[in-house]
Amino acid sequence: MILLINTLISGFGDNLVYLDPGSGSFLIQLLIAALLGIGVAMRASWSKIKGLFGFKPKADEDAEDESTDG
Amino acid sequence: MPKTKAQTDNDILSASFRDPSGFLFSHNGVLYRQVNHSYSEHYNKLIDSGLYDELVTAGLLIPHQEVRQAPAEENTAFKVIQPEMVPFISYPYEWSFGQYKHAALATLSIQLRALKRGMSLKDASAYNIQFVRGKPVLIDTLSFEVVKKGLPWVAYKQFCQHFLAPLALMALKDVRLGQLMRVHIDGVPLDLASKLLSFSTRLNFGLLTHLHIHAGAQKRYADADIKKIKQGRSMRVQAMQGLIENLRSTVKKLNWKPGGTEWGNYYDITNYSEKAFKQKKDLISEWIARVQPSVVWDLGANNGEFSRIPSQAGIFTISSDIDPSAVEYNYRRVRKDKEKNLLPLLIDLTNSSPGLGWANTERESFINRGPADMVFALALIHHLAITNNVPLLKLAEYFASLGKWLVIEFVPKSDSQVKKLFRSREDIFEHYTKNGFEYAFGKHFNIRESIPIIESERTLYLLQEHE
Repeated sequence: MILLINTLISGFGDNLVYLDPGSGSFLIQLLIAALLGIGVAMRASWSKIKGLFGFKPKADEDAEDESTDG
Repeated sequence: MPKTKAQTDNDILSASFRDPSGFLFSHNGVLYRQVNHSYSEHYNKLIDSGLYDELVTAGLLIPHQEVRQAPAEENTAFKVIQPEMVPFISYPYEWSFGQYKHAALATLSIQLRALKRGMSLKDASAYNIQFVRGKPVLIDTLSFEVVKKGLPWVAYKQFCQHFLAPLALMALKDVRLGQLMRVHIDGVPLDLASKLLSFSTRLNFGLLTHLHIHAGAQKRYADADIKKIKQGRSMRVQAMQGLIENLRSTVKKLNWKPGGTEWGNYYDITNYSEKAFKQKKDLISEWIARVQPSVVWDLGANNGEFSRIPSQAGIFTISSDIDPSAVEYNYRRVRKDKEKNLLPLLIDLTNSSPGLGWANTERESFINRGPADMVFALALIHHLAITNNVPLLKLAEYFASLGKWLVIEFVPKSDSQVKKLFRSREDIFEHYTKNGFEYAFGKHFNIRESIPIIESERTLYLLQEHE
């Protein structure tokens, strides 16, 4: 089975990829990510501009959000 | 964990076979992970990039040591590492909503940190997350791969099936739908989640895209050649970051409020007086000091009130209950008080987790993950014997299989809680008496103590399994 999956996705040149990423999942991910990537790029540019004016970037968010209820 | 015998005298763990990067094996009772040559580039990058140190320091990855132990399969071995032992392996269908959500957020946090160091998670299985010292931790050191430029996240589908779909169903439909993970070993199918969720969830951008449209795309492109899809398309790391951050904000917005249930405010409505409550706690403390167990399972623990007697004495304690609200309250207290020795779990004792997956050995049954040194069954037996019609002899046999010592409370028919159970049914339980209890449990245990609880009808027993 693993051999079959590896053969199926060997186009990616990584023999260690043992999960089937799924064709539909793969495609939709590219589309969503392209959309969301624009946001990330804009945020990155914005924080560079803010940096020029002496604003400090926000610290990375913590691993978890403690809140689980509404 | 069940094991299969390898060519050597090492035991390869039966759940450890999907990923060719390496596997877990045990030798003389110690757990090791073999890292295969095919994974060497990725393992070296994990260590050299500083990602390993960052994740271990943040408490997100299980620490390990490289050791000189002989590998289980010499031909393929690159290294052998010894990971820190996880005190108890639990599964997603045994987690409260809060535990599940924190496990999802931990996975995404790991992926974001990995991307910043040129690596990516090559799987996002919920089974790779375990609760250690009260917090979710990735236990599969071989889950990382060097980022291949232009390639999307190979574990995206798995993350959506293992985390997003069950969490959305639990938060927005019914918390009991988390049990779908018990049926679907590789996560909740997205078309099923999409069907079950209300139409209004399509107004949420994250759920619309990652669940509903994703499910549609899976169906539409099921037979599409992935190589053709890839042609002319690539994914920048920034785009991947955007994707992960969006998944994170989608998960963060999923919330669930535990409600009051028959168990939710149990300690407020119980017929215990303050004196009786204190006596029960004192007796349990005394017996723990006498037996000195290293692992306690408190079954039917409600919100974990009595589980905290051993856990606060430094003893690792499982605190299980059938009620999702009780387990959620229990977990929230663990997080709030930063408790390290208590693991709340959602377990229905009348149908506890079976062996699942390939050959029924990939995910172990609840019973196989024991035995404990000491089991608590407090204010529980009447639910099992009367509500669930389990004869006392079968109960005694069951508890004897779970642990060497048993602290059990006998709740007689004259107790107001038991009277409630008879409101809607006939009393067909002629053997459910104190004598009947002592006879049945005497078949498997020696009665070391039997103390009537003051100002109540109940008796607390300390039992030791026959040698």
